[in-house]
Amino acid sequence: MRAYYSTRHVLDRAFSGLGYGSVALMALALVALLGPIIGKGLGAYWFRGTVEFRLFVLERFHRGNAKKIGIEHREAMRAREPFWAVLRAFEAEMESDSALRRRVGKDYHRFQSHIRELLGPIPGDSPPLLMRQQYGQTRWDRALVKRHQALHIEEWDYGDGTGMGVRVWKPRRLLYAGTALEPAFDLLENHLEAMLRPRWTWYGRFLTDESFDAHFFGGIWAEMLGTLCLTVFAMLVATPIGVLSAIYLSEYAPEGKLIHLLRLFINTLAGVPSIVFGLFGMAFFIHALNVTPSKSVLAGSFTLALLVLPTLIRASEEAIRAVPQAYREAAFSLGASRWHTVATILLPAALPGILTGTVISLGRAAGETAPIIFTAAVSMGEPLRWGRLLTAPTPALPWNLYNLCTEHAAVDEIRHVQFGMALTLVALVLLLNMAGIFLRARVSRQLKV
Amino acid sequence: MSEENPHVKAREFSVLYRDRPAVKKVTLSIVRGAVTAIIGPSGCGKSTLLRAVNRMNDLIPGCRTEGELLLDGENIYAPGIDVVALRRRIGMVFQKPNPFPKSIFDNVAYGPRLHGRLTRQELAERVEQSLRRAALWEEVSDRLHTNALGLSGGQQQRLCIARALAVEPEMLLMDEPTSALDPRATTRIEDLIAELRGSYTILIVTHNMQQAARVSDYTAFLYEGDLIEFGPTRDLFTRPREKQTEDYLTGRFG
Amino acid sequence: MTQTGKNRSLRMSARAMRWQDATRWMGTTLLLGVASLSVLAVLFIFYFIAREAIPFFLARGFREFFTSTAWYPSAHPPQFGVLAILAGSALVTVGAVTVAVPLGIAAAICLSDLLPFSVRQGVKPVIELLAAIPSVAYGFFALVVLAPLLQERGGALFRGFVWGIGIPLGALAVVMGSGLMAARLPPAWRKRGSVGIGFLLAMAIGWFLRALAARAGGIRVDSGTNALNASLILGIMALPTVVSVSEDALQAAGREIREGSYALGATRSETLLRVVLPAAGSGIAAAVILGVMRAVGETMVVWMASGNAAQIPRPWYNLLQPVRTLTATIAGDMGEADHVTGSERYAVLFAMALVLLVFSFLCNLAGEWAVRRSRRRMSGE
Repeated sequence: MRAYYSTRHVLDRAFSGLGYGSVALMALALVALLGPIIGKGLGAYWFRGTVEFRLFVLERFHRGNAKKIGIEHREAMRAREPFWAVLRAFEAEMESDSALRRRVGKDYHRFQSHIRELLGPIPGDSPPLLMRQQYGQTRWDRALVKRHQALHIEEWDYGDGTGMGVRVWKPRRLLYAGTALEPAFDLLENHLEAMLRPRWTWYGRFLTDESFDAHFFGGIWAEMLGTLCLTVFAMLVATPIGVLSAIYLSEYAPEGKLIHLLRLFINTLAGVPSIVFGLFGMAFFIHALNVTPSKSVLAGSFTLALLVLPTLIRASEEAIRAVPQAYREAAFSLGASRWHTVATILLPAALPGILTGTVISLGRAAGETAPIIFTAAVSMGEPLRWGRLLTAPTPALPWNLYNLCTEHAAVDEIRHVQFGMALTLVALVLLLNMAGIFLRARVSRQLKV
Repeated sequence: MSEENPHVKAREFSVLYRDRPAVKKVTLSIVRGAVTAIIGPSGCGKSTLLRAVNRMNDLIPGCRTEGELLLDGENIYAPGIDVVALRRRIGMVFQKPNPFPKSIFDNVAYGPRLHGRLTRQELAERVEQSLRRAALWEEVSDRLHTNALGLSGGQQQRLCIARALAVEPEMLLMDEPTSALDPRATTRIEDLIAELRGSYTILIVTHNMQQAARVSDYTAFLYEGDLIEFGPTRDLFTRPREKQTEDYLTGRFG
Repeated sequence: MTQTGKNRSLRMSARAMRWQDATRWMGTTLLLGVASLSVLAVLFIFYFIAREAIPFFLARGFREFFTSTAWYPSAHPPQFGVLAILAGSALVTVGAVTVAVPLGIAAAICLSDLLPFSVRQGVKPVIELLAAIPSVAYGFFALVVLAPLLQERGGALFRGFVWGIGIPLGALAVVMGSGLMAARLPPAWRKRGSVGIGFLLAMAIGWFLRALAARAGGIRVDSGTNALNASLILGIMALPTVVSVSEDALQAAGREIREGSYALGATRSETLLRVVLPAAGSGIAAAVILGVMRAVGETMVVWMASGNAAQIPRPWYNLLQPVRTLTATIAGDMGEADHVTGSERYAVLFAMALVLLVFSFLCNLAGEWAVRRSRRRMSGE
């Protein structure tokens, strides 16, 4: 008997453990997800910036102390001088030794291009066209990666017989042993800091700077602005419709078939996959209604408005229904009409609840990607301008996050921008949601009459 | 106080919820300026009858009436009756104090703002006058613009009375106005009812027989939707004519 | 003292009455009109999707679309076999549900019955936040963090997973098994017997787990973006929906039936499994349906994490191969098909959207039915 009982109790404990474990697992998932996004995302705002970064900011955004940066830049240039001298000496050696040239000529070209990425143009180069080639690495962490590439040769080992290569990094120094280039590796290894002068930098303007050269430099203002415009216009369209619908459902609709039908349709709208909203937005707003000839903020906002409408209606209806019946009776007993009661009593009392729904919907609209792919978003583009705020297509945070991490020409080079964008988007949405949750908590305390 | 010219007169008046009668063919006359109490066990239809007088039952789906309910000789359930005008003439106070989540001033001014076009000055006077009549002015005059939900329960109920008075009704309906209040607040409300007697016709529903005896001139006893007995309070309490009334008064049921 | 005389009549003039009726009718109609916009939106969505999709089906029939796996929309002549893509959607959804449903229901039980109220108040907003994170952020995580991890350390990850799940389950099996078997021994032997049996069981299970872990550790992941990655992330995304809806259902089951069961001497797990869960069954079914809808309709995560290869994995349950889903195909192909508006390549995407739309509509009806059923049950009819 006792054994039987104890088994029952162990089972019971195990069951509880399962429950606690699953909640813990969810917390773990949240941490695992947010951890890298927050950790690496902050790296877009706060990082060790090199002198190249300061030079770039000064030249493109006219920010920073020109004199000080000038001095610093000259000092960095002076520190690079011995390195350039070694390169020149080696080039002279290759000039005279054609066997050496044949042996390492190709690799030296590769080495040079790594150096250009690391430090910018080599003295004597013709001025490059692309901005990414005009500056060296602006970030110390990227500079270390580039240095590693310069110091090593990448090779693939197919020795294990599976046909899948394993990447091996071989020191480049070995190839150049005994040549005039050898000191260059020591210089890179030991004196890179003097050449680039990294310093901890807070780059808060990441949020409000335009980007240059396809996000190699600068910030994410175009995306920010696009997302703000899209969501704000979407809410401007959706909120009145949502609140009026909620008023009808909670105060005017007669109980019965009609309200049942309305609810069925609202639930159906809530269940439509977001990509279908995107297709519909394109087919209806752009091709059929022709609100704009092609993608635009307007078409995107309308589509997003439809997407958040069910959420808004439900939140508003809940808020209005939560207003105590006693308020309605009091107003009616004083001779107020139904509409007057709604306008003077119910809406003010339900306002915080409606606001909560609005704020949470705002977050939802800001994070949605699929509906704007075909209706509003473009991958690269200028920030919106005043006159064409509604009629122009725009970059937007979620879409460009997708774009930068899948279709960008140099996906690995701009990881920090991707993480920064992800962090910004997630922070935007979570802040809106937390504001909503906070508001709701306050409301539920207030409405306890 | 003439019984020939009743303020409200019910003639064979019934209220039905989805064809189930809650008030059955009640006939009674309510005397102008007097306090009339409706008593009876819970669920006897006394609130329904009260709410029929200012047509608050209109809000309940599936509720309809039969017979006549006359206010100054005019059937308020006749077609073409202006319900807003009716409710302006008949104020109402509810079981639980239900001030709006607004300031004290805005609560009292809600009705006048709704109906009249008063100047700012007139509105302020009306609010003060109503609060004085509800014996609340002294307590709140220095904080008229604070939230009404900050008042105590008894104060809130007097505020609701002031709010009803501010529309300048002829009649007040009170639906168990003290059931959610403590004894001291109850006493103040009862004193207030005594002061308002004469200026307003008051119809009060209560499940507290002592209260009915204390405040009312006339009492109606309702049981299961039927009007069992109606008459001057003293007569009904001391010499009930009906067996059921006596049973109820002596606590044998209800 | 009043501007209104005592003998004001209550009767309105005929004109005032007509005016009042007219304004009231107009106001209500206007509101009804606004409220009907949602209805209109749904009808328009169906119409505009079907307008492109139905001609496609009429021209090419259903046979190719639903039974062929040849998806070559830009070939000459194009082939529009969507079976592999349908299978991809189904596979990823099933994977996501496998993650989300057991975990979600267990978490819901924990929230509604195990955790104290104050903790629950803290956990619920966290779940809401989990639901609020944009899908593209989940997709970004899947692509940039999880995919390289799977590809480079897949074996170690699976091994850790086997041990992480296996050890608690194994320990439970050891305790239960030894208890149950020892109960059959004569009383004098029980104590020593249960220790012995437990030891033997632990050895056996440990050996089995080691073999399994070695097997799992040997798995090689060729591509980090595959059905498993997409399923995992989708599962986590669908989790908040499943948790909150099933928690509501468990709460709605009421205290009375729980107390009734405790009063009969049942333990907590017995109460939950035999009484509360069956009572909340329809509500939990609704939660599962909503979770499925979320997984099927999700675009960004599957687009970024599933690998986008229009093939049926071999064997079909091999989650480590890349697949392609309906939503990702629409999102990915419209960019190229947009230039050829009106072409079959454009129309086939609408045909897929119609499939999605009809599926989610049916799910919705089923969910609604489940919710209504549970409500009717609760109210005791």
